[in-house]
Amino acid sequence: MAQLNQGLTLFLSLLVEATPFLLLGVAFSSILAVFIDERQLIAHTPRNPVLAAIAGSLFGCLFPVCECGNVPVARRLITQGAPSALAIGFLLAAPTVNPIVFWATWVAFRDQPAMVFWRVGLTILISVIIACVFSVQKDLRPFLQSAIARYLPSPAPEPAPALSGGGNSLLSKGTFLLQSTGTVKLDQPLMATVGAAALPTLSWQTKLQAVLEMMLQEFRELGAVLVMGSAIAATVQVAIPREWILALGQGPITSILAMMLLAWVVSICSTVDSFFALSFSSVFTSGSILAFLVFGPMIDLKNISLLLTTFKARAVVYLFVLAAQLTFVFTLAVNLYTSW
Amino acid sequence: MKRPFYWPTFWDALALLLWGLMLLRYWWSGRLAVLLHPDYHWLAIGAGWILVFMAVWRGVALFQLPKKLAAEHIALLPRRWSLTVLLAIAVFGLIYVPRPFASEAALARGIAEPVRVTRSQPQRFARNTPPAERSLIDWIRTLNVYPEPDAYADEPVNVVGFVIHPPEWDDNYLMVARFVLTCCAADAYPVGLPVELSGDRREFAPDSWIAVQGIMQTETLDGQRRLVIQPDEVVAVDEPENPYEF
Repeated sequence: MAQLNQGLTLFLSLLVEATPFLLLGVAFSSILAVFIDERQLIAHTPRNPVLAAIAGSLFGCLFPVCECGNVPVARRLITQGAPSALAIGFLLAAPTVNPIVFWATWVAFRDQPAMVFWRVGLTILISVIIACVFSVQKDLRPFLQSAIARYLPSPAPEPAPALSGGGNSLLSKGTFLLQSTGTVKLDQPLMATVGAAALPTLSWQTKLQAVLEMMLQEFRELGAVLVMGSAIAATVQVAIPREWILALGQGPITSILAMMLLAWVVSICSTVDSFFALSFSSVFTSGSILAFLVFGPMIDLKNISLLLTTFKARAVVYLFVLAAQLTFVFTLAVNLYTSW
Repeated sequence: MKRPFYWPTFWDALALLLWGLMLLRYWWSGRLAVLLHPDYHWLAIGAGWILVFMAVWRGVALFQLPKKLAAEHIALLPRRWSLTVLLAIAVFGLIYVPRPFASEAALARGIAEPVRVTRSQPQRFARNTPPAERSLIDWIRTLNVYPEPDAYADEPVNVVGFVIHPPEWDDNYLMVARFVLTCCAADAYPVGLPVELSGDRREFAPDSWIAVQGIMQTETLDGQRRLVIQPDEVVAVDEPENPYEF
């Protein structure tokens, strides 16, 4: 009974803590969808995979979202025809490389400012490497859930902006906004339609309406997923004795593995995870704390369920394995070869 | 002509409203402190208001001309399914009263070790805090900086916490403990100090709250030299409004 109470308190605590950030994420992503023409942004990003990957990793500075909020943005970048390197770079780096997280980490590790720079630097490095690997796959569709993939243009020599070229709009399914000025499709990729096609003619009021409409849709969907993720995270935390995880914490290798496991299980939002990591910093190696801060925002238990709304399981496994291995290798190097 | 009633819009509005109210209810009832560090309360409260605002906006659509409430929405999760989850959790959250972690959780998370995981930055908790004013977490942080128990012998203690009966200790020892939060209940970790009672510890039930006044002594407990409180007075107190320390 006490364990059940503990689990429920944990569950609610994760929900209550993550909901504001989820809202912030869907708000940003909706505002961007309606008010910013991402095609412009995508059109101005370099086609070279490495440069696109770097640009994608730095996009987080423009879209300050945590890992609950970056999936919808990445999803939209993909449906807008962003190169895969750009989208993957953004997906992995945005939760960490953004002003809010930078500030939070700085506050938490005031006495170890190097942690902030290691965290941001290593995240960009790993994201760029993985994004370059994914850029080999020019057509992302086999990696995507079919509901998303069907909005992608066929593989073309030049990735065309999604939804601009039509197809037969009469035959597409979805929610539609019927107005005197024309028909506007109201789901996610259709928001791209609002942004792309009808942008100049929409009034502020209509745009605000569209933002709220989209926030609602994303909140409904991602909120339900967040509930499941939090429930799993709470169950695992109560079921696995924490000492087992902590007992591994001293060696240079086991501490990294333990902190990565913990980051994966606890699924704490990147905006606040540095405070959580701080509570371990006196007994765990610096490299392992760094592993927690770099790996957690990229992929964790909660965020896997969000990723699965966009990517197929196979792609999520690739992302997970690559991110885990790179984080492990680099933070082990930090543990072994730096005195920091 | 009678307008049809748009149930999907109604359910959306209801789900948003209940989620908003769930967050706000924890604030109104003071239970937010059980779930979150006070620094982040404003985030949850703000999110609650935003959700209520969105619910109102959605509710207004119910009474507007039905210009855009088309049939089907493409979603990756079935809309009904997500709505059901959201509604169920909101109703549950509105009914359930979250309780702070208690002794069983503390034992499960390993409180028996004298020096456990604590935050760094110990210099902030230097020994210049007068001993009688140190809270439990101040004591633990002070001990982390300078762990020799004898250094604190005969110093006055005055702490409040909940009772733990560690099973491996004799019946005249209990632990007075608090959970420490850095962000939310997910990262709560327990800290505590042993108390040597003159009588039996069953006088103070596990999870009840006590205020302990006394002096510090060094004893061997569990085969370790540890700082143990020799109480002058142990009184039962109410659970504080904020059960955690920071």
